[in-house]
Amino acid sequence: MIHLPKEETKLMVAVHGWSGIVLGLLLYAVVLTGMVAVFAEEIGAWSAGHVETRSAFEKPIDARVRALVPRTPAEFRDDVNVFEIGDHNLGVFFHRHELKPNGEPVDRGVYYQLDSAGKVENELRGTGEEVFGPRNDDALSSFLVDTHVRLHVPNPWGLLLTGVLGLAMLVAAISGLLIHRHLFKDIFTLRRKANPVLVDRDRHSVAGTWSLPFAFILAFTGSFFSFFGTVGVPIVAMAAFGGDQVALSEAVFGSAAKPDPTPRAIGNLDRITADAGQRAGGAPTFMTIEHFGRADAVVTTFHEPGPGDIEPSTLVYNGATAAFDREKPSIGTRPSAGGTLAAIMGPLHFGNFAGVLSKAVWFGLGFAMCYVTLTGLRLWLVRRREDARSLDWLERATTVVGFGLPFALLVCSVAFLVTMPLGSAVFWTPTSFVAACLATIVAGFLMANARLDRALQIGMAALLVALPIVRFATGGPGWGAALATGELAIPAVDLALWVSGGWMLWSLFGQRRSVRTADDFALQLAE
Amino acid sequence: MSAKARKWIRVGFAGPGAFIIALVIMAGMALWLPQGAAQIDNLVLPLVLFPLIWAALFFHACLDGKRSRIALVAVGLCVIHAGLVANKFLSKPAATTPAATHEAQS
Repeated sequence: MIHLPKEETKLMVAVHGWSGIVLGLLLYAVVLTGMVAVFAEEIGAWSAGHVETRSAFEKPIDARVRALVPRTPAEFRDDVNVFEIGDHNLGVFFHRHELKPNGEPVDRGVYYQLDSAGKVENELRGTGEEVFGPRNDDALSSFLVDTHVRLHVPNPWGLLLTGVLGLAMLVAAISGLLIHRHLFKDIFTLRRKANPVLVDRDRHSVAGTWSLPFAFILAFTGSFFSFFGTVGVPIVAMAAFGGDQVALSEAVFGSAAKPDPTPRAIGNLDRITADAGQRAGGAPTFMTIEHFGRADAVVTTFHEPGPGDIEPSTLVYNGATAAFDREKPSIGTRPSAGGTLAAIMGPLHFGNFAGVLSKAVWFGLGFAMCYVTLTGLRLWLVRRREDARSLDWLERATTVVGFGLPFALLVCSVAFLVTMPLGSAVFWTPTSFVAACLATIVAGFLMANARLDRALQIGMAALLVALPIVRFATGGPGWGAALATGELAIPAVDLALWVSGGWMLWSLFGQRRSVRTADDFALQLAE
Repeated sequence: MSAKARKWIRVGFAGPGAFIIALVIMAGMALWLPQGAAQIDNLVLPLVLFPLIWAALFFHACLDGKRSRIALVAVGLCVIHAGLVANKFLSKPAATTPAATHEAQS
């Protein structure tokens, strides 16, 4: 434990409070959507009714990719990215590398979206930024991830904003550790019969102390991701390569193979995916083909971390012969401290290194952090309630954001379920979110804070219970159909929604009952 | 110097100062860190460590009782790293823009 002198401790308490007050509500928005985004894949399958469980890479892809070559202009056949979209279908992006006038690398080409039969469902042309957007069947999960990553603020400002929020969280986590005089005692202290402020303080302290290491990891990795492309890469490229970001990328990710532009047909991709699946213990999640159609073609497959490992695995194949070449680190051509550290940032941030178990732990700790942020704000306000009446607006804002944001997310989930079968989910998912936010803000002006607080909680509980019913009523697959294909995400998310909705309703109306019982008891005593 | 001015100096070093100096350190680190086995540590580690460098500068500016020492450490680190970057540019000036270089190569 760290024992700071009294003055420094007071300063750290102020830093801890103000870091939360200045950016707390925005931080809450990022943490809440991040917590939900941990299960973005499962939520995507649940919301779109996806029941296919076999990866697109476990099915034949070679003929499908080869069939796209004649319809792709030769200028875009330099490199190819192959990945999964929708219900384990295939997305293929033929592209070439270009540079923006400011020196930033960009990929331009043709993006094919294939259906389950391998036919081209959609063809988009442009840069990566232009063609990779939300689709009708993943509008909800894309919306969640986009809110978390950049709060819908245009880049680079959105990433810079979330990066600064990450730094604020880092400050809150470290100062939170420094101000704990009795760290181990605080982990277990919950005085249930003390006055309500002390009870809330204990709960804040317990949740905050347990999630301190997690808050530190999330803040560190989150601000790394936000600043990596926006300021980090340009600055390091400027210092080491005179601003040439392509040279930096080549040095970090490039292969050491000797260039050979002799035309040569690409090797059998099915052989590569089958071999890669065996070596890595699971199908690839992403595949890149560099120098497509040349003798020096290189195929790289990316896999999730294997059992007992935290670093994702990457396999390299000779593109022309489809022969296995080597296993390489995710970053760099040989294992190194910097490469390993950078490679584990993703799994540490996303919590996907041990499947559903680690995701569930990350979700739970994310919930604890939301609770800590919200109760921290409320405790700060309670402490100042008698001194400054002018802080009423902040109390109201805390309610509007604290409960209004999850309420609006649930409203946009309902809107997604209703509009996805109509093909207009890309428009209605964000629109309904904005409408629900505006309605909550207006209610914040018109209603008393306590009433608004309760109304939003009842609204959230009702929507949580209603969501599985809406999903089924709008044509979503039932549990039988989902379980028959082994898609556990659908019944699991349905159950989670019902349990949380039921728990909220029980605690809301249970609270009222206990308050009424206490009032009756007081009346009896008075009589 | 008034107490208010001293407070704002501390706030300046902890806030915008820490951010700008962390960026300069990130640039300079790429030039003195060892390259490691894969020849990339000097490029990757500054990117990974940026949030921690910022946090170290922030908490030093908050907790060090001597303002002169805060200024000395922050400005010293900034000058050393900015000097390394300047030296790199002065000793080997960039001939052209990155976009033009890339186009010429391809």
